[in-house]
Amino acid sequence: MREEFLFNSEEEFCAKLREVSQSGVDRRKIRTITPYFVYELDEIIQAPASNLKFFTLFGAVLGFITGMSLTIYTVLSWPLITGGKPFISLPPFLIIGFEMTILLGGVTSFLGFLLIARLPRIKDMAPDKEYGNQFVIVVEKE
Amino acid sequence: MHNSAHVLELNNQLDNDILAAMRKPSTLYWFALAVCLFVVMIGGALWGYQIVTGMGVAGKNNPVGWAMYITTFVFWVGIAHSGTLISAVLLLFRAKFRSRFNRSAEAMTIFAIMTAGLFPLIHMGRVWFFYFVMPYPNQRQLWSNFRSPLVWDVFAISTYLTISLVFFYVGMIPDFAIVRQRASGIRKWIYGVLSVGWRGTETQWRHYNQLCILLAAFATPLVVSVHSVVSWDFAMAILPGWHTTIFAHYFVAGAIFSGTAMVFTLVIPMRKIFHLERYITLEHFESLTKLLLITSLIVSYAYIVEFLLAFYSGNPFEKSIFVYRATGDYAGLFWIMVFCNCVAPLILFVKKIRRNLVVLFIVSILINIGMWFERFVIIVSTLSHDFLPYAWGLYKPTLVDTGIVIASFAWFFLFFLLFAKTLPILAITEVKEVSAKGEHHA
Repeated sequence: MREEFLFNSEEEFCAKLREVSQSGVDRRKIRTITPYFVYELDEIIQAPASNLKFFTLFGAVLGFITGMSLTIYTVLSWPLITGGKPFISLPPFLIIGFEMTILLGGVTSFLGFLLIARLPRIKDMAPDKEYGNQFVIVVEKE
Repeated sequence: MHNSAHVLELNNQLDNDILAAMRKPSTLYWFALAVCLFVVMIGGALWGYQIVTGMGVAGKNNPVGWAMYITTFVFWVGIAHSGTLISAVLLLFRAKFRSRFNRSAEAMTIFAIMTAGLFPLIHMGRVWFFYFVMPYPNQRQLWSNFRSPLVWDVFAISTYLTISLVFFYVGMIPDFAIVRQRASGIRKWIYGVLSVGWRGTETQWRHYNQLCILLAAFATPLVVSVHSVVSWDFAMAILPGWHTTIFAHYFVAGAIFSGTAMVFTLVIPMRKIFHLERYITLEHFESLTKLLLITSLIVSYAYIVEFLLAFYSGNPFEKSIFVYRATGDYAGLFWIMVFCNCVAPLILFVKKIRRNLVVLFIVSILINIGMWFERFVIIVSTLSHDFLPYAWGLYKPTLVDTGIVIASFAWFFLFFLLFAKTLPILAITEVKEVSAKGEHHA
């Protein structure tokens, strides 16, 4: 069994959510759908912080290692002095390392987001019911 | 509550007003699209002619080997910058007026990089060998020279395009879900797939919000690095007028300046055509104008410092190139640049003018012109007048390179026109979010 509440404004939605949440309903039994990001929401239901940053960190570190190893490996695989500079010229290689950090960090964040937000969801691409600009609280009950 | 129905109505109205831009295009739209397409085709034909005949038709020759193409490349990379700045940096600073400009600015970024990316290829001559700049394993065991700024460019620009695309797409996911709700037939399916099944649940929003902040945190240093790398294409060479340490910040400020001007050039007509006066107000324009004014002052300051650095350098070549810029063969262009970038924007100190869209539009066009000439002056004056007077020579544009440069503008506007009819032109969910909180903090 499930109970569904629809609201037209953010204030009413937050008030009801606070009430439901304080009445002792388990956080995992409450589902909300909002037309835009509501700041108070996470605070009211005491949601844990997003873990996305770990994906980002992983991607960024991987990117930096990729950039640095690509430049250092290639310059050592055909050691040819150009411009009288040392083989491993760190300042220019750091630029490649930096760009790769951002590239892989950004792309991994996006893929990580899709993974932990359980997207894409095929059946929700054309859902049976759309709520438009309404704020929705669904409480699952056994 | 008595006003809750009113809030719902306002939000529905907002959806309608913004999505109205995606309705069936008018005859004028088709005409504009056809003109752009025609000019792009002429540009393509000119490029074909250049490939078949040889690079001589492009007017660049010794000593000026970098001319219109590289000028325009730097110009378009610069235009791209403001998009990321407006969306990422203003997101991190929580500037609320950003929600009115970020979508068009991000679209502008992507189309500008797509335009900029063509120019190294056109400039390259034998374009079918473009993959030589990429590091790839080959039987000759040759790799790219990672000490070359041109290779940094490849990495910087391709990273910039990828991250901007991700940022642009991520920003549109909740808006695609709104379009999906209101579309029908095949369009419903297309936007449904693009929305990746977005519902707006608590979990989705929580991770989404974190993703936007993380991407903005990446995009901010990226935007600074990209134009720095572009400036090092010049600064790493030992030519007088190029070999200077202020180039990176000077170029980044100039890029943000020109990009913000282009946002005005695009958004002022867009607001009028799609009747968005209720959503993009004069206050929003005024906030963005302040960014234009401050970057103009930074650019003017950089011009002055550049001259002072040359005069205090004790280097006769360095001094001579700056005297040449202001009084030599290209002095006219130099003074156009000074007028457009340093003098004309000063009228934005007047509050009344900051709220006058006609004047703002004219100033934005002047800045676009001025910033194109800035790059031309930097590139061509140095090359035509370097160390050896015996090797001095002038550059004259030809029909082919001028035509290709003009076509690049048509190419850019072509994509922007397509964007205006196929994607939501304003960040709908963000505008709702900001409106719900009241904009007095903006």
